[in-house]
Amino acid sequence: MCELRKRGLVTAVIYSGPFEKLGRNQARTFGVPELPLVEITHPLGGLALADVKGRAAEAAPQFAELVRKHAS
Amino acid sequence: MSDLSALMKAPGAGLEAEDDFERINSLYMEKGWGDGLPIVPPTAARVEKMLAYCDRPLDEPVTLLAPRYGAATPLRLAANAVMAGCKPEYFPLVTLAIEALGDERFNLYGVNATTHPCTTMIIVNGPVAKELRMNSGHNAFGPGNQANATIGRAVRLAMLNIGGATPAAGDMATFGTPAKYTFCAAENEDASPWEPLQVELGFSRDTSTVSVFGAESMHNMNDHESITGAGLLKMMAGVVAATGANNLYFDGAPAFIFGPEHAATIAKDGYSKTDVKKYLFEHGRVPLGMLSDENIERRIRQWPVFNGAFAEAGLDRLVPVMKSPDNAYVFVIGGAGKHSAYVPTFGATHPVTLPLKTHDGRLAKSVAEFRRK
Repeated sequence: MCELRKRGLVTAVIYSGPFEKLGRNQARTFGVPELPLVEITHPLGGLALADVKGRAAEAAPQFAELVRKHAS
Repeated sequence: MSDLSALMKAPGAGLEAEDDFERINSLYMEKGWGDGLPIVPPTAARVEKMLAYCDRPLDEPVTLLAPRYGAATPLRLAANAVMAGCKPEYFPLVTLAIEALGDERFNLYGVNATTHPCTTMIIVNGPVAKELRMNSGHNAFGPGNQANATIGRAVRLAMLNIGGATPAAGDMATFGTPAKYTFCAAENEDASPWEPLQVELGFSRDTSTVSVFGAESMHNMNDHESITGAGLLKMMAGVVAATGANNLYFDGAPAFIFGPEHAATIAKDGYSKTDVKKYLFEHGRVPLGMLSDENIERRIRQWPVFNGAFAEAGLDRLVPVMKSPDNAYVFVIGGAGKHSAYVPTFGATHPVTLPLKTHDGRLAKSVAEFRRK
């Protein structure tokens, strides 16, 4: 993910709340501290398919916004 | 050790503090540089003594430790070994275990960062275990032996302090395990009816090795009644055939630690290690119907590890916990008693075994060969 970001592609890491620190640390470790993190409600595991789709619905507009910013 | 003096002058290599046990421990706790237990302050003098048993360049990384991918140089490792309470002669094993963790097959990032309660189990084979008076008998995984306790702790401290496997930041274990403090023992080769682990893996008996496993805590297998190998193996297969362990869902390699008495009973009935593995592979299986509907669908029928083999399977079909007999690691540890242990793993990890070699590539017969010239 970080390598793709370094090459100029629009990338983001999707995380649920408790994993924010891990995500930020990893982005720093791989030299892309500004890597966008897209938050969804925790948890992602142990969900019915409809709830998983709900999580995707939370992430999608955040990611669309990243793409819009990148294009402008 | 002039190169050490130069390295110690590098920015961030050390800090000035009063050499006071309580104050240094308070400072380390405050900074989060440890495992919560008191540490031996890693003064320059103590680190230098530790490095007396290191023949590698002091600033050349042995490996990078995930999740931070910190450079595990001998200098940094020595500081952690001092903190853990290691004697200097243990340092070659600490370094070798760290090198093994860097092998891609181990998947250190996964083992350290996962929510699963796994850690590094270290098994030492060969003459160096006796040289360092490691415990391979009664309570080998318990308290009382300095080498077992501190080699395991040094490796764990390195993962915290160099690898950044800090709780809730780099190590996301839901609740962890006490085995994350230390989890290290030697195989009881003298009490084994089978070839020891390093010989099974292609090394000679007089080669010393370190094996690392991305392991859960051990699950005891008590059997005071079975008097045949078949009886004991039947009991053990029943332990393996459990829901909820990662090994069911991954192509992982769990360990079977046989107490000497169980091993003797099984071997007396003609079972080789290969036979034991084959039995546990064939009988350590979970009936599909024991799993929840969601697990059957998501973790078995659609799960890539099974490659569609259970897509249409009925609920009485048996799902193998090990995906091959060779995935089982079998060795003997312990003293008297009718106990053995099953050690499930993170699953997405494979054990790594490395021989003890000097920096110039010679197999080392003794830790004395690592003494710095």
